[in-house]
Amino acid sequence: MNVIEIHHLTKSYGKARGIVDVSFDVEEGEIFGFIGPNGAGKSTTIRTLLSLIRPTSGSATIFGKDCVKQAPEIAKEIGYLPSEVFYYDKMKVIDLLKYSASFYGKDCTKRIKELAEYMDLDLKRRIDDLSYGNRKKVGIVQGLLHEPKLIILDEPTGGLDPLMQQKFFELLRQENAKGATILLSSHVLDEVQRLCSRVAIIKEGRIIKLEKMSDLTRDNYKKFSVECDAAADARFAVDGVSNLERKGGTVSFLFKGDVDGMVKRLAEVHVRNLWVEEPTLEEIFMHYYTKEE
Amino acid sequence: MNVFLQELRSQRRSTLIWSLSLAAFGSLYLLLFGAIRNDISAFEDVLKNFPPVAQAALGFVIGTLKTVSGFYAFAFTYIVLCGAIQAANLGVGAIGREIGGSTADFLLTKPRARWSILAQKALAVLVLLVATNVVLLAVTIPVAAAQGPDFDAGLFVLLSATMFFVQVIFASLGLLYGVAAKKVKSVVAVSLPGVFAFYIVGLLGAVVGEDAIRYFTPFKYFDIGYILKNAAYETGFCLVAVAVVVVAVGASFAVFAKKDVQAL
Repeated sequence: MNVIEIHHLTKSYGKARGIVDVSFDVEEGEIFGFIGPNGAGKSTTIRTLLSLIRPTSGSATIFGKDCVKQAPEIAKEIGYLPSEVFYYDKMKVIDLLKYSASFYGKDCTKRIKELAEYMDLDLKRRIDDLSYGNRKKVGIVQGLLHEPKLIILDEPTGGLDPLMQQKFFELLRQENAKGATILLSSHVLDEVQRLCSRVAIIKEGRIIKLEKMSDLTRDNYKKFSVECDAAADARFAVDGVSNLERKGGTVSFLFKGDVDGMVKRLAEVHVRNLWVEEPTLEEIFMHYYTKEE
Repeated sequence: MNVFLQELRSQRRSTLIWSLSLAAFGSLYLLLFGAIRNDISAFEDVLKNFPPVAQAALGFVIGTLKTVSGFYAFAFTYIVLCGAIQAANLGVGAIGREIGGSTADFLLTKPRARWSILAQKALAVLVLLVATNVVLLAVTIPVAAAQGPDFDAGLFVLLSATMFFVQVIFASLGLLYGVAAKKVKSVVAVSLPGVFAFYIVGLLGAVVGEDAIRYFTPFKYFDIGYILKNAAYETGFCLVAVAVVVVAVGASFAVFAKKDVQAL
């Protein structure tokens, strides 16, 4: 079953770019990564799903309900953590969290305590006394206190120190194990790689790739690094090769295609050393981003 | 009703300060009446020598200063002006503060329809304005009554109630502005110039003697001279006032329902 279904979603802002014909589905129980650089349209897509902005055309459903028409109903089961969190400065953390909980009609007191303890958040302080990182923690607790079935995270880790990032990801894994579906937008690719089972890559408002993380990193591409004479570099510039570059004595490239053919080409040159690896998501991402320019 | 209660909570301190300040200003002025009541005739003679334009601009009506209500009416113009600023603050801030402070991301992703959020906010503003007027009346009526046996409570209340009506109009206009503006960075930076602009329009109208201009400023919907003479409001302007509020609030709901809330 799909928790999120997006059909040809378009949002235009006059001249400025929004998103164009975005379509993808997020399945129940998966952690879905949504990647692209700043300004590519990640937040626009997410804000449309949350009904903060209205689509120019196209539609989206969450839990089978229309994002625009049934937004309040959908919101009951969504936890949202934006990239920048803003709360009422004069409120105490606990009062803000209680206010947040009051929208869901259930007692979240115990859960608030657990989450705050886990995230090491002082509930008695005023929002405007908190550091950026601590505000982010308030955002995390606020987003998860009602045990949502769908968690939407828009660049969530900015401001969190590495230790807290770890704890936060662990928390997300626990929620996912309990059945929550997660949509994670990010431009920090290794966090996506660590968490997500599928990814969509968005570029200039359009989805350019939608694939399983495992396929993306394993089956499609190999990263070759070959220590050999520079004179041999031209031999590798064949179909299926991209991101060819030489650093010192080593030439490296991404290769998609018949591995046997590449091995035969390698046999023709004097190879001093050889590495064949699965590329990181970042390398694949760069591949998609540079190939069309 | 959680949004309603939260709005009340967040504005209670400021509303209390506004209420007490307005009440203190009104009361102090009323106490002056006791001090100068015996010299009122001489006082009026001086005012009579003012050019008619100045009289109109200052907003006093010759011949009415002898009664407590008439005397109060002179200062009341400025109390209404202050009240209008308070109301515009509340109106503009209701949604403007959420969008300007980016807390709209929090509020509008909660399971509440936008119309419900706006209705709760608007209701909270109304309650705060009622509270302000109740405080003002509760303090000024006894003070006014103490100024002499000729105190006409009915007329005094009729006069004082115009502040509430003017406030509701400004709150409605402010609400619409807060909803429609892309981003309100500072509520006061919107409400102060806005209210003063309407006030100046009213002043100009009085100076020029152009009656039609009265339709363009809520400050002139309830003419003090008329109320003092007739102990009633002008029906036509009451209808205009109601129309302005209905249109502004209606438009606020329509605009807010479809508003795009942008990140930062």
